[in-house]
Amino acid sequence: MSETNNQTAAGSAGTTPPILEVRDYSLTYGGPEQGVKVLDDINLTIRRGETLGLVGESGSGKSSLAWAIMRYLPALATESDGAILLSGENLRSKSQYQMLDIRGRRIAMVFQDPSMSLNPTLRLGEQLSEVLIRHRGLSLQQAWKEGEAALARTGITRPAEMMKRYPHEASGGEKQRVVIATALACSPELIIFDEPTTALDVITARQILQLFETLREETDVSALYISHDLGLVSRIAPRVAVIHRGVIVEQGQCAEVFRDPREAYTRRLLAALPRPDRWLGVDQPATGAAPLLETQALNVRYGGPSLLDRITGSAKQAVDGAIDVALGVRPGELLGVVGESGSGKSTVAKVLSGLQDFRGTVRFDGRGFVRRRDFDRRYRRAVQVIFQHPDSSLNPRQTIGQILSRPLKLYGLVPAAQRPAKVAELLEKVLLPADYARRYPHQLSGGEKQRVAIARAFAAQPRLVICDEITSSLDVSVQASIARLMVGLQAETGTACIFITHDLNLVRQLAHRIAVMQHGRLVDLFDTPDAEAPERHPYTRALLEAVTPPPVVAEAPVDDLEGTGP
Amino acid sequence: MTSPFRSYPGMVGGLLLLIVGVAALFGPWLAPYDPQQFHPQVRLQGPSAAHWLGTDQFGRDILSRLLHGAPSTVFFGIGATLLGVAAGTIIGVIAGVAGRWVDSVIMRIIDGFLAVPDLLFTLLIVTILGGGMGHAMLAVAVAFTPGMARIARSAVLSIRTREYVLAAVARGESSVYIVGREVMPNAMGPIIVEATIRVSFAIMIGATLGFLGLGAQPPSTEWGLMVAEARQFMFRNPWMVVVPGIAIALAAMGFNLFGDALRDSLDVRRSH
Repeated sequence: MSETNNQTAAGSAGTTPPILEVRDYSLTYGGPEQGVKVLDDINLTIRRGETLGLVGESGSGKSSLAWAIMRYLPALATESDGAILLSGENLRSKSQYQMLDIRGRRIAMVFQDPSMSLNPTLRLGEQLSEVLIRHRGLSLQQAWKEGEAALARTGITRPAEMMKRYPHEASGGEKQRVVIATALACSPELIIFDEPTTALDVITARQILQLFETLREETDVSALYISHDLGLVSRIAPRVAVIHRGVIVEQGQCAEVFRDPREAYTRRLLAALPRPDRWLGVDQPATGAAPLLETQALNVRYGGPSLLDRITGSAKQAVDGAIDVALGVRPGELLGVVGESGSGKSTVAKVLSGLQDFRGTVRFDGRGFVRRRDFDRRYRRAVQVIFQHPDSSLNPRQTIGQILSRPLKLYGLVPAAQRPAKVAELLEKVLLPADYARRYPHQLSGGEKQRVAIARAFAAQPRLVICDEITSSLDVSVQASIARLMVGLQAETGTACIFITHDLNLVRQLAHRIAVMQHGRLVDLFDTPDAEAPERHPYTRALLEAVTPPPVVAEAPVDDLEGTGP
Repeated sequence: MTSPFRSYPGMVGGLLLLIVGVAALFGPWLAPYDPQQFHPQVRLQGPSAAHWLGTDQFGRDILSRLLHGAPSTVFFGIGATLLGVAAGTIIGVIAGVAGRWVDSVIMRIIDGFLAVPDLLFTLLIVTILGGGMGHAMLAVAVAFTPGMARIARSAVLSIRTREYVLAAVARGESSVYIVGREVMPNAMGPIIVEATIRVSFAIMIGATLGFLGLGAQPPSTEWGLMVAEARQFMFRNPWMVVVPGIAIALAAMGFNLFGDALRDSLDVRRSH
């Protein structure tokens, strides 16, 4: 069945046959004429025990390739010639019925979001043992025992207990460990990892990566590791393939590709990676100035028991979104706020943009606010917010022109006759063509939409802009341009900025000071150059250690990166 | 927005609506005979050259009666739906925007009404108010209100937490602007679609009320009433039941198919 080693790859000097070989493979969605070509002439090889990193941005076809290998393609996909060989067997000639036996047993897959890939109504143990029962024919008891052993191997401290839990009773990291244990359960020849750490927090992601490295050494499994993060891939995979619009533009040893990228696209990707040692931000403003905005003993509590809960006596616990947060932003400064999800960084953004009730005091420009209702239009004009998701931050039924002229009208900044000219000027400022004013948001790409959101915030001529994870749902290359745009506008207008992010590499390039939040508290606040100083809070150090440093490039391309050190 | 007539169901639905619409607007002038005129020699006939869809127990021309009945039947459906949608949308939007206890109180009451089936609810109201077209229309509108309120509320709730609405709140926009310009235009899609589909239910409930003698009264040519009157003669001339029955079904189907197609084309992401 599986012992078909007679078909060794031609020209390979190695003694081991490749586990996975994709040869001249192309894939089109839609008809052969007007269809979209997602994969074009793909060639790649993975040997036993080897990890190949597949790097590409969204829409590059990297996930389509994973599904093609799994033989799980939508009905409208048309494949041209080419072969997908697993240990020499062509998977393209297998029927869907035969593939059922191969999936999970010989090829396993680990997905991005463990909370989506586990069935919420089944215990973790049931989901893990199901694979063993199905593919290895074990009895339920045997499978359960094996499952516990498999969980123990993934570093879960009490596997027996974890087997009995439901997905919602486990943390994101634990769930991803269960998914990895399930993937490894039948000792497959190949595991496809599809961005397995993207949905996890930095520190958890780091632990999952370490687990991946340990398991790879122990089990000798081959892996295809799909990611958008070049830095991460360079750490875990010795070989990398860069995919761009369905074409593998560059493939080779990580060290070589990163030291001397041959393709312009790879160079662009590398240049876009945030590097803490390369300063992008504006010059440090005067440190002696009085803070523009200040919070004192800021507290936010979510979901206390309602009247009904109190009557019925059900004990519903309130969650603290922010506890005694005291922050200050100086005029013209960029303050970075970092922390994991649930650390309270977005709560602070919501309070400051007047979207969340709070206790405590917010002082802005000499005025004090103690309730959400106190924020008047004058404050709201001076403090603008930009959200994370460009897709949902623009009203789909308004044109870009309407969206951008609204703040001009609302705050009475520009008379009606001059608004179109002002809109054109705003669009130009964010490097978009003026005729975009007539377009609707869905006609724009994610990065373009985020530029419009930035233009809308700056249309109000604010004194402080709150950026809530504005780069995190964008591709790496777009992220860099958005960050540069923000800094450019900041330099031009002198606006202060609160930049909330989980990307420490990026924030160290932009921020003058960095605030670190954990469980709703502000645990650390320091000047950016002191990031590695020994007196940092342990949590700050843990965050910094968890971040993957960008791959070393011999010579940083000096294109349009200006700026002096802070 | 792309035309809803591009799709196959949209095309069929549009065609049916065109036929029904022409009948409703011009029916009385297109009818070959007076709908109340007796032709004693040709009672209970099947289709013939003189009477295309046959005649009833008094020898009245069924086609003429059908065409004369079209306006009342179709406008009953549209009128009842418009009233119900308007009332339901207002209630639903208030509940969705206000939130907290206002939402809870309104929705619990609405849930209570939803527990009663539409037809039973309508019958109850007609019994209290008394029969007749006007009352029947009001009754259907009231029966539709709770369901529409629920749909409007859920549409508002899903829009209310979008970041563009948050952005408007953060900008300091008035509630009127936020509801009118940011929330409603994006929440209207599901409401319009549901309304279109509900016209077909309204037509059927109206016909049912007519059939039960609680809606239009003889000698009206309302389609439901035509079916009711034909019931006794069903075995002597099945055409009397079949013809108005099919007319009701086609009108209902037209609105239904068109509503489905409208939902697809109102999805902004697929258009412009």
